[in-house]
Amino acid sequence: MDGVARFGVAVEDGDAVSQWLLEMEDVHFAYPGSAQTALNGLSLRVPAGKKCVLLGRNGCGKSTLLLHANGIYRPQRGVVKWRGRPFAYNLRWLADIRRKVGLVLQDPEHQFVAATVEEDISYGLCNVGLPEAAIRRRVAEILERFGLLGLAKTPLHHLSLGQKKWVALAGVMAVEPELLLLDEPTASLDPYHEKRLLQELDRLHAAGTTVMMATHDLDLALAWGDWIFVVDGGRLVLEGTPEAVFSQRDVLDELRLGVPLLAEVWQMLLEMGGQEPPAAGANIPRTVEELRRWLKV
Amino acid sequence: MRYPLETLAYTNRLRDLPPEQKLLFAGGTLLMALLGQPFVQVLVFLWMSGLLILCARIPLKTYGCLLGLPCAFLLMGLLPLTVSWMPAARLAIAVEDAWAGFQWGGWWIYVSRAGAAQALTTAVRAVAAVSCLYFVLLTVPFGQLLQVLRRLRMPVLLTELLLVMFRFIFVLLATAEQIRLAQLSRGGYRGFRQGMRDLGRLIVRLFVRTREQMTQWTLGLFSRGFTGQLHVVSSARGKTSRWFAAAAVAGWMVLLVLEWRLRMGMR
Repeated sequence: MDGVARFGVAVEDGDAVSQWLLEMEDVHFAYPGSAQTALNGLSLRVPAGKKCVLLGRNGCGKSTLLLHANGIYRPQRGVVKWRGRPFAYNLRWLADIRRKVGLVLQDPEHQFVAATVEEDISYGLCNVGLPEAAIRRRVAEILERFGLLGLAKTPLHHLSLGQKKWVALAGVMAVEPELLLLDEPTASLDPYHEKRLLQELDRLHAAGTTVMMATHDLDLALAWGDWIFVVDGGRLVLEGTPEAVFSQRDVLDELRLGVPLLAEVWQMLLEMGGQEPPAAGANIPRTVEELRRWLKV
Repeated sequence: MRYPLETLAYTNRLRDLPPEQKLLFAGGTLLMALLGQPFVQVLVFLWMSGLLILCARIPLKTYGCLLGLPCAFLLMGLLPLTVSWMPAARLAIAVEDAWAGFQWGGWWIYVSRAGAAQALTTAVRAVAAVSCLYFVLLTVPFGQLLQVLRRLRMPVLLTELLLVMFRFIFVLLATAEQIRLAQLSRGGYRGFRQGMRDLGRLIVRLFVRTREQMTQWTLGLFSRGFTGQLHVVSSARGKTSRWFAAAAVAGWMVLLVLEWRLRMGMR
């Protein structure tokens, strides 16, 4: 994978094939009728069991990438693989991949189907083909887990945006995907709903789901992600752990992304003198609490 | 966004009754209203209105406004039935039928007795029937209505269409409202002609926005594993209410006996 600066190791040595969930090799894609290519030779490997962040400016190809991951779009050149095997774009295989790869779109209205909350959550399960009794049981479980029992029979247009995003997530998690993709999940969420969403994503990750979110929020990427992909102009330019990626100040400035606030603050404190990194290799505090711990009086 | 009529269907006190019971009750009573004597029809209207206002706690004002709409249509339709005219020279023929009237030019315009009686019976039947329909509209949420239709094995294509239409009425209304607010904020709708032009622009923009939303929605639908059917599962229906069934049957008995005695008396 030329031209990509890689920092850190995403997966330990071992059986490489089973440790990459999703692989995209030299993918090219242009929307029909558009002169500009959305994906320009993108190569990316999503490690299993990590919290990944897809970082990039508006229009860099993040959403297009996500729509390739569940087979909605097919690359014009290049290959997409799931657990080492190339995508087979036939109906049956696609139905299967869409259960394994769950995509939560930026606007929850774009994936609501039914009249009420419980009916909408059941939709994904109906597509999987479970018997009705099992569907009812699973819907009840999901409603309880996401605290939606009180809203079960509410029509979807009675919900606030935060509630809608929550219901959309619940609907996608109902089918228990192995890889959960989220397109700008915290966009237009207030701090409370954002915190709740991130806590839920952490819980899902702890339970075994690989989570990847596309965002342009650098502070979120620093605080939450284990592995960062930086995408620009339809290709991957930078990849690595958050501390490593955000240390590449020059590259990020050139990409007009910049660095997270905490990185700037820490850099300033180092320049002012009197501060030292607590350990070798730890060069950016990821949260305010961490910064507090690192600060010497 | 909330819409009063639709919200009532979800928040009234009778919402937990099984939809089948409510529909059966409304259907049976509707039949009686359509076929019965005027006195029975008046009772039906009072019964339904009483249920709605006292049991389901529908606000009187809302119910009144809702009734006002068909009543307005009724008035427009009944006027030709009651009012009649004929040349003044032939007044002697009509004098028995005329209730009150006046002369205008060479014509005699009057309210005919037969016409008035017919109008009254029509009005009573119409209002009674409308009250039955309002019972369904105001106490059965649309989602439940769809469930019943599915259980009755209505063609899947129709139920899916209804489902999608229901969802998108609100999306459409919300989008139109957004566009209208944007126009207002930017100084639109000033005066009638300008207002009409702005309305035209709203409609065009609505088409474009709706098309964009449909494209995105299709992506979302496929992402959730769309295989050709919009099959959904709703939670198990509520328990059949004994008291409601008993009250309904008792009411029907009363109406039927009354109907029978009235018909006997007429003969």
